[in-house]
Amino acid sequence: MCFLRCVFNHYVKGEFFDEMFSHTSRKTFPHYECLLEHYANYNVASLSNKQRLIENTFLEEGITFTVYGDNQGTERIFPFDLIPRIIPRKEWQLIEEGLTQRLIALNLFLHDIYHEGQIIKDQVIPESVVKTASHYRPEMQGVKVSRDIYIQICGTDLIRDDKGNYLCLEDNARCPSGVSYLLENREAMKRAFPNLYSQYKVKPVDNYPDLLLKTLQHLSPRQGHGPVCVLLTPGAYNSAYFEHTFLARKMGIEIVEGRDLIVLDAYVYMRTTKGLEQVDVIYRRLDDNFLDPLCFRDDSMLGVAGLMEAYTKGNVALANAVGTGVADDKVIYAYVPEIIKYYLDQDPILQNVPTYLAWREKDRSYILSHLDSLVVKSANESGGYGMLMGPCATKKELQDFAKKIESEPRNFIAQPVISLSRHPTICEDLSIEGRHVDLRPFVLYGDSIEIISGGLTRVALNKGSLIVNSSQGGGSKDTWVLND
Amino acid sequence: MLSRVANSLYWLSRYLERAENLARLVEVNRYESLDSIDPDPWRPLLYTTCTEKIFRESKEQDVGMFISFSEDNPDSIRECVAHARENARMVRDQISEEIWRDLNRFHLFIRSENAVELWQNQPETFHRRTIEFCMLLSGLIHATVLHDEGWHFMQIGKLIERADKTTRVLDMLAYYQGIAPRAKLASALKSCSAFNAFQAEYRSGISLDNAMNFLLFSASFPRSVRFCIQQLDYHLHTVSGSPIGSYTNEAERITGSTLAQLNFSSSLNILQVGYHDYIDSLQKQFNEIGQQVFDTYILLPLEIRSNTNSETRRRQNDHQRQQQQ
Repeated sequence: MCFLRCVFNHYVKGEFFDEMFSHTSRKTFPHYECLLEHYANYNVASLSNKQRLIENTFLEEGITFTVYGDNQGTERIFPFDLIPRIIPRKEWQLIEEGLTQRLIALNLFLHDIYHEGQIIKDQVIPESVVKTASHYRPEMQGVKVSRDIYIQICGTDLIRDDKGNYLCLEDNARCPSGVSYLLENREAMKRAFPNLYSQYKVKPVDNYPDLLLKTLQHLSPRQGHGPVCVLLTPGAYNSAYFEHTFLARKMGIEIVEGRDLIVLDAYVYMRTTKGLEQVDVIYRRLDDNFLDPLCFRDDSMLGVAGLMEAYTKGNVALANAVGTGVADDKVIYAYVPEIIKYYLDQDPILQNVPTYLAWREKDRSYILSHLDSLVVKSANESGGYGMLMGPCATKKELQDFAKKIESEPRNFIAQPVISLSRHPTICEDLSIEGRHVDLRPFVLYGDSIEIISGGLTRVALNKGSLIVNSSQGGGSKDTWVLND
Repeated sequence: MLSRVANSLYWLSRYLERAENLARLVEVNRYESLDSIDPDPWRPLLYTTCTEKIFRESKEQDVGMFISFSEDNPDSIRECVAHARENARMVRDQISEEIWRDLNRFHLFIRSENAVELWQNQPETFHRRTIEFCMLLSGLIHATVLHDEGWHFMQIGKLIERADKTTRVLDMLAYYQGIAPRAKLASALKSCSAFNAFQAEYRSGISLDNAMNFLLFSASFPRSVRFCIQQLDYHLHTVSGSPIGSYTNEAERITGSTLAQLNFSSSLNILQVGYHDYIDSLQKQFNEIGQQVFDTYILLPLEIRSNTNSETRRRQNDHQRQQQQ
């Protein structure tokens, strides 16, 4: 029997939901059987060799991110694991429906709060919560955005609880990154395991750049002229710079920095060797704060003076729209089920993680008395920063956080520790062990809503860790969505 | 084409050309120093590369190490490759994957300890590898990208650098004040990969006069100053679209006038002006051409021109303040 001699021989499933091995028996889920059989051809050392070859290719091709806090501009690859995550068609359909529902609702919500504010008048969400969200942009009140779409590109983070239910952890409605790694991971897997890949009927992902370009072109305000789209990057020092050049190259559009653009009479132009050329759509990979020194941070060196005026006058479109960060506020996140109910009169297909809001008195006292068993997060940080893992925190950390929560209750939320599902992963010492994973699918909202079939599966490579962010010891896996 | 992109393409190929010339120069010098009785055989090399002052101020003791790897030397081979690669990274969407991959691969190699080891144990292999890599890149630039505006900017950067480096080798002969021994003449020619071509043209004697004539005025040797400037003239006119023989900007005007001067000069004129001064005025003209290309096609407003270190740091800080989703 294959199982006895294969590389998964010593695998310990543990007390978690495992993506590969069934909860109730030591059997694999049916959609992993073929993989298990194929991997019986290898031993751990040969797999690990394959992996090193791939990582070397990533380094040579410059598929890297820049490490911050390091003046050398050190570039690292995003560690890659050879064992793919496989998602059967049925599960994926549910994810697609859930994400589509969520994105439509969030979009209606953003349009509403920047116009009539009906949801506030109907007392579903308190006005104070919306207006104190740190990414709320009063400048956007009453501004008509192109096609009434706010979030064109969304990178929702999904996790699975101990029963295997998919839960939504955050929506990432500003500038979600990671899609280039998803595409490069797929290329690497197709090269490393061509036979296995073709045995499974995996849905392709390489249409993403085309879909993204269509999504951008759909926004162009200029009629009767081929839309000129550009990608606005903060520049070569940005941690996601590789992704910016990757996407621009795949879409065949210009990648620009703030200094390449100029606003004249509320129109945006790029400086070329032949003079100025008008720009219609900007896929900006720059936070709102940095877009326009005249409107937001006046010390920003990365933005374009006058961009907001051109934008609010409708002469140029931005993707994503300005002000979508409200939806990323973790307090607003807690209201998403109500938002879905309010605008669509539907029950949410994907559930939230239960969330306690520190500004509600009852919740706060619960949080403070259960601090050592909860995860506390600040409402407006991302990338795994500004959070407290109650069960692993020291007494001092707990006390410090309790003080912070009491002094700024609006800025903190708490959630029970969800033991993310685990997936077999090749470890440093060449053993195969379970590591916690999440999933970031990418959703595009253009003419219609399109979801790339797959996603970035991020792995917390450190034993026992629940933090999957690349900046904090995370790696990634290819994600295979099956056709049947 | 974006002005910033044109600038990056220009410097990408200019730095590659610089690395290649350096490697050749160092190799010729090293080989020659084996037979030299000069107690300080590396001195001419520092003179040619204009790095005497930085070398004195640097911690680095070894000239070879200084020219090949030192971080104190902004124009060491390693730094040149790093600059070329940094520029390539900023225009990855404009160049072929082959160019990027090979450049990045070499950058990773030359930064590694392996490269230093190779240089210590087999310096010739190291230098040859560097030259071959630059040749490979030059070939890839010729064969894998559109020969459009961006490509012309790459050629412009390369040709200005090449002409400049050839004049620097010639200047090294001036260092010997007209009494350069035959071996020095030969090594000057070799520094420009010109030895065989020279012999083919001047069957007989190798003399200062002949070598100078060849490296300055040859109409068919691709590293002669005249050849480079003629090519440069062509690329500048292709970019602007104006006919050769006329000019629409200062870069074209100075190039045209330098070319005319080279077309109608002989070694006699040089002796009248003085060897070193003649070379010096050529180098000034090249600098001016580079500056004018920048002013005409690249120049961005004031805030970008003052791209000082502090600004770079500020930009880096801005990046770090950006949240990562």
